[in-house]
Amino acid sequence: MAGEENSPGSSMHGVTGKEQTFAFSVASDPTIPTDSTAKFALPVDSEHKSKVFKILSFANPHMRTFHLSWISFFTCFVSTFAAAPLVPIIRDDLNLTKTDIGNAGIASVSGSIFSRLVMGAACDLLGPRYACAFLIMLSAPTVFCMSFVSSAGGYIVVRFMIGFSLATFVSCQYWMSTMFNSRIIGLVNGTAAGWGNMGGGATQLLMPVLYELIRRAGATPFTAWRIAFFIPGWLHVIMGLLVLGLGQDLPDGNLSTLQKKGDVPKDQFSKVLWYAITNYRTWIFVLLYGMSLGVELTTDNVIAGYFFDRFDLKLHTAGTIAATFGMANIVSRPFGGLMSDIAARRFGMRGRLWNLWILQTAGGIFCICLGRANTLPLSITSMILFSIGAQAACGATFGIIPFLSRRSLGVISGLTGAGGNFGSGLTQLLFFTSSNYSTATGLSLMGIMIVACTIPVTLVHFPQWGSMFLPPSKDASKFNEESYYGSEWNEEEKEKGLHHGSLKFAENSRSERGRRVLSVSTPPNSTNSMCV
Amino acid sequence: MAIQGFLVVSLLFSCLAATSYGLTFSSLQESLIVTASPKHGQVLSAGEDNIVVTWSFNKSLAAGTDSSYKTVKFKLCYAPVSQQDRAWRKTEDHLNKDKTCQHNIVTKPYSSSNNTFTWTVERDVPTATYFIRAYAYNSADHEVAYGQTTDAHKTTNLFNVQAISGRHVSLDIASICFSAFSVVSLFGFFFLENRKAKMSQAK
Repeated sequence: MAGEENSPGSSMHGVTGKEQTFAFSVASDPTIPTDSTAKFALPVDSEHKSKVFKILSFANPHMRTFHLSWISFFTCFVSTFAAAPLVPIIRDDLNLTKTDIGNAGIASVSGSIFSRLVMGAACDLLGPRYACAFLIMLSAPTVFCMSFVSSAGGYIVVRFMIGFSLATFVSCQYWMSTMFNSRIIGLVNGTAAGWGNMGGGATQLLMPVLYELIRRAGATPFTAWRIAFFIPGWLHVIMGLLVLGLGQDLPDGNLSTLQKKGDVPKDQFSKVLWYAITNYRTWIFVLLYGMSLGVELTTDNVIAGYFFDRFDLKLHTAGTIAATFGMANIVSRPFGGLMSDIAARRFGMRGRLWNLWILQTAGGIFCICLGRANTLPLSITSMILFSIGAQAACGATFGIIPFLSRRSLGVISGLTGAGGNFGSGLTQLLFFTSSNYSTATGLSLMGIMIVACTIPVTLVHFPQWGSMFLPPSKDASKFNEESYYGSEWNEEEKEKGLHHGSLKFAENSRSERGRRVLSVSTPPNSTNSMCV
Repeated sequence: MAIQGFLVVSLLFSCLAATSYGLTFSSLQESLIVTASPKHGQVLSAGEDNIVVTWSFNKSLAAGTDSSYKTVKFKLCYAPVSQQDRAWRKTEDHLNKDKTCQHNIVTKPYSSSNNTFTWTVERDVPTATYFIRAYAYNSADHEVAYGQTTDAHKTTNLFNVQAISGRHVSLDIASICFSAFSVVSLFGFFFLENRKAKMSQAK
């Protein structure tokens, strides 16, 4: 997957600095020829991928795919975190202790560490449409299983199984990359991911309201919460059927054509994996994403119960406040990516790194404030600022990831995503499972951990672009983009010409030098044979 | 005697006046004797079993102590074993922060002796270990005294309630039906499409 063009994360948006300010459309970009023979509602390129991103359109197949994709991901977020706002009721029904609740929260995010890694392979084998439909429809029974739960153990197991469905993140991003041109894929993927993550907020609003309605209709509290779980379950089934019925893998509709396209050499998985895990930057970003997405998932799990207990609010009031945390994703994640692009225009990669550090550290500081706030208005303000910081940091992270590696991009993205979930499990284990300190103290400690664990971003150094504190290497002929991306291929592979895609990318990535790009000429040892 | 009673009451009133919202449990006098029918360790079923509560004023205390008592509110309170590892049921001295007693039983007008009532354990009481506490309120609706079925360390006369499970057979069946529908329609779609593709390939 890493060797193919237009794979997820291969966004070229902003790389030359000459494109339009907002990546909604590259229709006027003369370097991408429009295929005028194709009969689609939107202008498409030679692969029939859309060149424009019209958010409010449902045009088949591109925009329809976008909406099916993000809504499926949103549904999975809703069901994974559906229990969180209902915990005050569930803990009485099942006689849960704080340890049980903490373990269930950890379980809910742990399942997808594994399933996200597998989902990539599933998308390759079955195509994103079936991969998404299989996951979402096979996890519907796990949501319905909540009606059977009668003990702490059962509760933990069911939340673990529901958590598998978060792997729709991978199918969502993969599907977007088959439908949208790589120059706008960054914004498209960021919007899809952000709107999907919103589900974690929407559920805090939806579930208490459903619970109230069902209880008023006559059910006892301990039955009402179980019935409430049927709604996310039905959403799974409905979205699964819509994806199967209305979706298609490719703009032209056939999966078999993808399989017939053997002209792109398939890379060796072992090599791809090797270059991913031996790049030290990968592991720094695994840690960093755990402190942005990870803490976002953790907060989705604990925040409603926190407001309910600390400020003695009603269940649906606590849910409404908690919802604003997750709903901020509608703008804050795309905002983080946008800030990253803006910083890169002037300062290149160094700007992107500083942007990430500032956003994530701000998020950490506001998390500390959230834990220490004693009044409701101060608490809500801190929470909103914390959400903006953490979610914008998520967007900013994936503004940098595409540049870590060209060959191993898929694996690095998958590892980073898994790291996010791992960070969530870890923070829940450390701060929200034991009774040694209150949830408020746990939040403050988590904020301190965020600030401390964001410091390693200062260590990310690119020889050709520099790092936060160090300038790029003076020896531009030895340390340039081509040598960085070329170093992932050995001499044998270079002789076979397998590295040409990386070289092309290297040339396009020169914009990460910032304003200096205009004065840089093509280094003498880069190939000009763009005849791939 | 009357002066002693008056002093106690005025002391309480002044406490209330100074910190009217900061009333603490330790400032209350245990002047009510409360007994309940369940024996120590007995298990009651929510929604079915009854509790008979008998209560009166502790006559060994000075007369006139209870002159300010207007109403008595009975509550079902969590025993320490049910508070362990559950911060949402924590005991705090400040009464408005205390979460020990979360279930109201009944409110009765105060009378010093021969009081008894029967209460059916409500359907939404969760499974836990409990005791019963009564708070006496004055006319300003502030707590002035209390009584409880257990001792000061909350170790005696604790009884259990077994809650009604939220599960229903109809829910279980609905759940199985929808799950089956989801799986069957998925695989049905998959095989149908495969067959259509094979048929069109064969043509």
